[in-house]
Amino acid sequence: MGFLVNPVAGMGGAVGLKGTDKLVAEAKKRGARPVSPDRAKAALEALRGLGPDVLFFTASGEMGERVLREKGFEYQVVYQAPEDTGAEDSRTACKAFLDRKIDLIVFCGGDGTARDVAGVTGDVPILGIPAGVKMHSGVFAISPEAAADLIKGYLRGELRLRETEIIDVDEEMYRSGILEARLYGLARTPYKPALVQERKQIYRSDNEDEFKDQIAIFASEFMRDGSAYIIGAGTTTSKIGAVLGIEKTLLGVDVVHDGKLICKDASEKDLLNVLDEVENAKIIISPIGAQGFVLGRGSQQISPKVLRRVGPDNLIIVATPHKLRDTPYLLVDSGDPELDKMLSGRRQVVTGYRMAQLKQVMATSEVVLVQK
Amino acid sequence: MRTKIILDEEEIPKKWYNVAADLPTPLDPVLNPATGKPLDPKDLEPIFPKGLIKQELSTERWIDIPEEVRDIYRLWRPTPLYRAHRLEKVLNTPARIYYKYEGVSPAGSHKPNTAIPQAYYNMKEGVERIATETGAGQWGSGLSLATALFGIECRVYMVRASYDQKPYRRSMMRAWGAECIASPSNLTESGRAVLKDHPDTSGSLGIAISEAVEDAATHDNTNYALGSVLNHVLTHQSVEGLELKKQFELTDDYPDVIYGCVGGGSNYPGVCFPFIPDKLKDKKDLRMVACEPTACPTLTKGLYAYDFGDTAQLTPLLKMYTLGHDFVPPAIHAGGLRYHGDAPLLCNLVHDGIIEAQAFHQNEVFEAATIFTRSEGILPAPESSHAIKPAIDEARECKKTGEKKTIVIALSGHGHFDLSSYDAYHDGTLEDYEYPAELVKQSLAKLPKL
Repeated sequence: MGFLVNPVAGMGGAVGLKGTDKLVAEAKKRGARPVSPDRAKAALEALRGLGPDVLFFTASGEMGERVLREKGFEYQVVYQAPEDTGAEDSRTACKAFLDRKIDLIVFCGGDGTARDVAGVTGDVPILGIPAGVKMHSGVFAISPEAAADLIKGYLRGELRLRETEIIDVDEEMYRSGILEARLYGLARTPYKPALVQERKQIYRSDNEDEFKDQIAIFASEFMRDGSAYIIGAGTTTSKIGAVLGIEKTLLGVDVVHDGKLICKDASEKDLLNVLDEVENAKIIISPIGAQGFVLGRGSQQISPKVLRRVGPDNLIIVATPHKLRDTPYLLVDSGDPELDKMLSGRRQVVTGYRMAQLKQVMATSEVVLVQK
Repeated sequence: MRTKIILDEEEIPKKWYNVAADLPTPLDPVLNPATGKPLDPKDLEPIFPKGLIKQELSTERWIDIPEEVRDIYRLWRPTPLYRAHRLEKVLNTPARIYYKYEGVSPAGSHKPNTAIPQAYYNMKEGVERIATETGAGQWGSGLSLATALFGIECRVYMVRASYDQKPYRRSMMRAWGAECIASPSNLTESGRAVLKDHPDTSGSLGIAISEAVEDAATHDNTNYALGSVLNHVLTHQSVEGLELKKQFELTDDYPDVIYGCVGGGSNYPGVCFPFIPDKLKDKKDLRMVACEPTACPTLTKGLYAYDFGDTAQLTPLLKMYTLGHDFVPPAIHAGGLRYHGDAPLLCNLVHDGIIEAQAFHQNEVFEAATIFTRSEGILPAPESSHAIKPAIDEARECKKTGEKKTIVIALSGHGHFDLSSYDAYHDGTLEDYEYPAELVKQSLAKLPKL
């Protein structure tokens, strides 16, 4: 198992920097203290009792070695980290892990770290111990303890892998008040199917991919109605492309009309042009990442202008039951508060073949109110 | 102030009521899928006894109940009609709420009302073994009881979702000497075909029916039995409604509305069909409302058309409301209501506007069930609770308007095997499913016509 700690992850959060990318010095100046080593230790504490046949490969010092030593685990340092570590060190350390034929890479950090790790790991599964300022990506466990639980289950061969999105927010824009999340890629991560983990009596297929297939087959059927379909980014929607036999842009927005791809990787302007030409249009989107955002994260091309042209009633939300289970409600943050309000309320979410659930959709502004 | 309205054993009906005699629109015939022509009754003989086939096709209004069957009915019939004084008080309503309770049968539901006569006619014709399916386990329990009483072997294919949810239903069937198998199973061609593509499937009633029919068709000594949908089943269940009418004669009351849950449609028609002549001939102002889950809204969202009764297309074609024989409903806790179609007799009356239909989400249904349990004491089955929900709504409406309506709930069974579902509700982990009717309509509109 590869084990990596991003020692500066999360430092910007408490001092109001909304992230730590390129701002470690500033964060330290503002008095930020490292948070990730403690999160990593909490996960390791919960991993005690892991059999002796598990070997950790790690990077030196703060990047993993110190916490593993303090918690008494067997490890081997395969990358010598410099004093001031950065993104490049995360990537190089992961490459060194990959040379050792590891089964899993566990990292402790935030969305930025997830991006660095996923950028080099390919098919090797990764799992995040949450320690960042922002954790939109689907590779994060909900807590260090939950991460330990997933690691144990995976190493025992009890858990499946799923593909999930790696998302990061442009921090410089975020600091100036613009939240622009981008989908950077995909990674495989172990998961415990939420549907069967607590309540065994709710029996159902626990294979998330099977639900994605079901959704895609159903979509391919209802898409025969002559409307143009604007299809958002993500793994669930990309399955629709696979069923239709077209190459759906995984990280972008495409338009499909009568089974044909009429606009690939569309910008907002492209979408508005398409809407000028077609009679009816509908939008299919899926929540992205771990926090249940259907709008405002990942597919910004589907702008308020596009949404208003298509009409809120023609927005079709699709999601696996697993994903819905992870989040108490779905969130919209289109940038147009009035539109967000129109999209809120109990909405049907397609969860399988001819199957839907009712889920509460909320504007982010409402959620803040609720949480206060 | 009486709470239970109870009839004497001698008042167990001597005849069943067959609504086919009183339908304004005649029932569309059952079709042979191979020829597209009405089914030859002989085609049914390999899997049903002649006595039941005769009832299935009968348009006689009254059918004699054999004494041997009435003798067994005495074990729990007549079932009580309760006046829900305590529920009325909790709701603070001027409405009068009654419930006809079938949970007092040995199997805990209305199912033995037809299981007993079905096993009887099979026994009379020398059948040694019966294969059947069960959704929530109520029919499987009912038939296991009946076959035990008549010395017939019984195998029950139980929908996988329920098999895992309700292990004690299995124990009950076993106690009566029946064999209970999770469906889809690898014991039949139909089961193996489904498992090949969907090894993790939660199963469905449609798949389980395919397995049981195949089992009966491929074993010489074996017949098939169905706990719902078919005409003879609904006729047997009429004992409920016939008793209910007599019970109302003992009060100064008459129903304004009767609510009952519908999965395949046997309990509810059993309760309300005997009131059909009152409504049609005597012009009684009586509403009858069939209640179903939004996750499987056959009557409210389905298409009125010919369709197969099972997934593997082994049954004849039935004219009914259907969501499509290939529809596998989500694993809601009212397992007994997860069926893609409904009884043709019931569908006929719904289509003619004589019976209404409404659909409800499972969380609101459990909420209503909880109000009922905490006032009346009885813990109702999740299926039956679909009728409690609108009854409570109606009673609350009466509170607003001041109307003194008489509301009847057809309470088909108890929920003693559904406690894990109650736990899930109280833990807040039940999802509300909804059938995406508009999108399905959209997907069917452009389908190539065969």
